[in-house]
Amino acid sequence: METIENIESSAPCLNSTLHFCISDTRDKRRRGEQKQNQISSFSLSSSINKPLKMAVCTAYTSPSLHSPYPISNSSKSHHHFILSTSCRSNRRRVRGEISCSSETNTVVIGLAADSGCGKSTFMRRLTSVFGGAAEPPKGGNPDSNTLISDTTTVICLDDYHSLDRTGRKEKGVTALDPRANDFDLMYQQVKALKEGKAVEKPIYNHVSGLLDPPELIKPPKILVIEGLHPMYDARVRDLLDFSIYLDISNEVKFAWKIQRDMAERGHSLESIKASIEARKPDFDAYIDTQKQYADCVIEVLPTQLIPDDNEGKVLRVKLVMKEGVKYFSPVYLFDEGSTISWIPCGRKLTCSYPGINFFYGPDSYFDHEVSVLEMDGQFDRLDELIYVESHLSSLSTKFYGEVTQQMLKHSDFPGSNNGTGLFQTIVGLKIRDLFEQIITEKSATPAEVSKV
Amino acid sequence: MSSMASPLSGIHLPSAASAAGTKSSPATVFTPVTQRSLLSPTRSLISKRTIRLMAVYSAPTSPEGISDKVSESIKKAEETCEGDPKSGECAAAWDEVEELSAAASHARDRAKSNSDPLENYCKDNPETKECRTYED
Repeated sequence: METIENIESSAPCLNSTLHFCISDTRDKRRRGEQKQNQISSFSLSSSINKPLKMAVCTAYTSPSLHSPYPISNSSKSHHHFILSTSCRSNRRRVRGEISCSSETNTVVIGLAADSGCGKSTFMRRLTSVFGGAAEPPKGGNPDSNTLISDTTTVICLDDYHSLDRTGRKEKGVTALDPRANDFDLMYQQVKALKEGKAVEKPIYNHVSGLLDPPELIKPPKILVIEGLHPMYDARVRDLLDFSIYLDISNEVKFAWKIQRDMAERGHSLESIKASIEARKPDFDAYIDTQKQYADCVIEVLPTQLIPDDNEGKVLRVKLVMKEGVKYFSPVYLFDEGSTISWIPCGRKLTCSYPGINFFYGPDSYFDHEVSVLEMDGQFDRLDELIYVESHLSSLSTKFYGEVTQQMLKHSDFPGSNNGTGLFQTIVGLKIRDLFEQIITEKSATPAEVSKV
Repeated sequence: MSSMASPLSGIHLPSAASAAGTKSSPATVFTPVTQRSLLSPTRSLISKRTIRLMAVYSAPTSPEGISDKVSESIKKAEETCEGDPKSGECAAAWDEVEELSAAASHARDRAKSNSDPLENYCKDNPETKECRTYED
């Protein structure tokens, strides 16, 4: 009955539990011979999935982030039962479609960071927590920067460059400069998507440096706008339901870019350094200033566990969480609001060098009251991660071990053994929770009316 | 309510007017909406066969192609900055290097993740025989 376990393990996924289940199973094994009942369950699930995907409106209804897994919990031995339950829940969702036109608001998330600071990895973790992999739009421009999954669309704000590469060169401005970006169009289109209207969004081609013909973006359940300036323009900022800033210290940025670029022909330590330095004035003026507006900042710093370490392999990562943000309750360690320094490694858990250090406590950040959770060091073994997860509270997981499961699932992503992966996963869970709360609140009134 | 008309209908084709209406200044840069983007909104409602036809449109730029551009841009940046390393032109030139280096890195990641042709095929055609998966 491994199929059932798959369904359960797919619990964090959004509306298409079954779809997720299929891809999950495929990872396991592909074989020629099979048992009859499993074939039927497979084809059944894929046929359910299809009409669901076509129903554009489904996207806006019901707290569909809730997967049917509690039901499957109670019926471990009958997977036919589980499938029929899923069927029913789908039908319920389709019925909700009728009233959905009145509650189409898309939840908008902003992610700000400089180029080469881990936005893509974060996006992959985030969309994975939401369920299903995000892929570029099929059949569109192969250089499109957009990622689409069942629930989430990620758009890259570089698409709102008003000056293409040649234009920037002529004027002597970088892409970091607001003058190279069209904030009016950014605002109009994000607002339209939030209101449930599709838009024709330009595509900035990072290879050619030109603006390609636009692509159609339909309003998703969750819209993530990632790039250099999601919080620069006050109008765009006000559209965000939640915002994140990835704050990578200069030392780490340099180390990461060496890892990324040294293999590239033409690059050298000098060229990597020169590029960071030349961009720094604009970065400081236009990008770094946005972190004061973020609901959540992930700071990545060199470790303090190894004296004078500048390899950038071991990292100290801080998760700065603003207090008083609607639908967002910060994660805490042991006791909410206390100041705690924690070394999980000791008698119960042995860690390898250089160990792991945690810190948690209240602080202030740009005059905002915040909670800070900090991790220095890295996980070398699975039990270290589980041990840490079990001591954190308000994680917004759907089952015990979900953080660990997500981290393991993407162990090939950069940062899966340190605080960047851990905190990105946690922020993903918090955003899922935020989304579910917003949807539940919105659907509360119509649901009461149509209650059977 | 009228705002819902286009995404809800599902078969909405973006007219030239709606495309022009959604943007301000950069609109003038673009060529008129191509057939490709006219087709895309109907994607979810049409058959798999059609999707595959569209999928052959073209391939993303190869990592090698971008690598050439990266090394070229570094040379240009070094030249540009010789005169005045504090100039906007110098910053813009190094910004181009960063942009291309990031693009090259993404292209490498994409090439890595797309390395199994069967997995790629099955992503689009999960219902086909060769893509069925079974547990013991």
